[in-house]
Amino acid sequence: MSTAQFLPLRFNWKTGLLAPGLLLVTSTAVFAHNIEKHFKVEPRSVVTIHNPSGKVVVKAWTKSEVMVIATHTSDKVEVDAEQTGNRVDVMTHQISNSISPEDLRADYQINVPEDAELQIHDDSGEVSVANVLGDMNVETVGAGVDLEDAAGYLTVRTVGGSFQCIRCAGRLEVSSISGSFKLLSLRSYHVHAQTSKGNILLDGEFLPNGIYRLKNYSGVIEVHFSPGDSFDLSATSLKGKVNSQASLIPPAHAHPVSKFGNAILGTFNAGHAKVELSSFDGTINILKRE
Amino acid sequence: MTTVACRDFLDRFDSSDSPRNGSPADLSVQAHLRHCPSCRSFVEDLGKIRAAGAQLAASDPEPPARIWFALRAELEKEGLIRDTPSEVPSKSWLAELFSGKFSVLPRPVLAGGYLAALLAIAFGLSGPINSRINRQRWLDGTQSSTEPLSAQLMSAEKASFSSWPASETPVTASLHQNLEIVDNYISLCENSVREDPENELAREYLYEAYQQKADLLAQLNDR
Repeated sequence: MSTAQFLPLRFNWKTGLLAPGLLLVTSTAVFAHNIEKHFKVEPRSVVTIHNPSGKVVVKAWTKSEVMVIATHTSDKVEVDAEQTGNRVDVMTHQISNSISPEDLRADYQINVPEDAELQIHDDSGEVSVANVLGDMNVETVGAGVDLEDAAGYLTVRTVGGSFQCIRCAGRLEVSSISGSFKLLSLRSYHVHAQTSKGNILLDGEFLPNGIYRLKNYSGVIEVHFSPGDSFDLSATSLKGKVNSQASLIPPAHAHPVSKFGNAILGTFNAGHAKVELSSFDGTINILKRE
Repeated sequence: MTTVACRDFLDRFDSSDSPRNGSPADLSVQAHLRHCPSCRSFVEDLGKIRAAGAQLAASDPEPPARIWFALRAELEKEGLIRDTPSEVPSKSWLAELFSGKFSVLPRPVLAGGYLAALLAIAFGLSGPINSRINRQRWLDGTQSSTEPLSAQLMSAEKASFSSWPASETPVTASLHQNLEIVDNYISLCENSVREDPENELAREYLYEAYQQKADLLAQLNDR
């Protein structure tokens, strides 16, 4: 199934000589290596991307094909894209022992079928994924992660990178040490988001039987709700404040967490979803959607 | 009274097993047992197994020292550990495991081991508190659990620092920076637990911070 087109291209530097001004502007691109590969795949293919540094942009398209376009400037790294069965592995690896962080950088633009499963590892740089509905696992150190219109089982783990998810559905698990999270227009039925020193913003639908757990040590946890939403709320900050604009029906029985720190507990409307917010010394705000 | 054949005996025996109720079914089973040596032998064996099971459940024996010596000898034979055995197996086996006996293992494996051990301990300790346990016992338990954890993490950190290259990349710098953040939370949580040892939430935060630290150290060791 290895029907890959291999198109290593060099920047046309002769053009640059004809336009010295342009050469100056694009001096870093003179030595850029551009690689483009295409792989035919079956439904529910798996794409793995391992890139120590750089930008990874993944978009879904309607073709049963994975297209990888890679760009790197240094001769000390190499880009591999190979197919094994219904899996495509994309990897940047260094071919020199002494290498600077700048040399490690490679940028990718990858198109995949909508139902592809993604596994992305990108230490520093940026990860952006749009319209992919398969399961996804993203791990970074400092790289921020942006997902748009994603579904499936989404697991994102960063150390310091921020995370943003717009119109994400399915199941979402995200964790970080110092990254902040923004979950906007969310349609997930299961959300577990935990960061130590970061803010968490959740603005989306609370689906019936959905579970939404947000946790941090410090920072602000902010949740927006509409009058028609239905959820059971448990919001606790051990050393910080909890503010709520929701009119809650108090629980019938005392909850174990209510004896520790500051807590707001209760049911909003019929309590179809479960919302659990907790912070060590951060602030929790439950705000009516404007 | 109906007669019971061997093939029906087990079903009837189950229902008439425990309390002797004198029902016709029970009497027919007993009659069958009197005349059938094979089924009688089966019931006797079952009785012995039950008795042995009850004894095992009643006592929770400490494995004899020879088990540990045999294990140690086998591990040394296979080259997995190098040290000479101590005379008696140490109580702080976790400390021993991570203090050099597995030094031949690659660092990521070691770090993974740390993480696994920490997770096991943390999950074991983060269960619901039995209200009957008094405050002092609880406090002692927490201290005795967290002190080795803390010490193990510190030694892992020292070992990691000694093997890190002099020049830092932005990625390792970010890992170090986040390690400091986690250390700060560990310190805050330890204070909270010390102030209010029965606070389950503070304890949960503390163990999660330990897990995060172990995780970060593992990531640093991978590089």
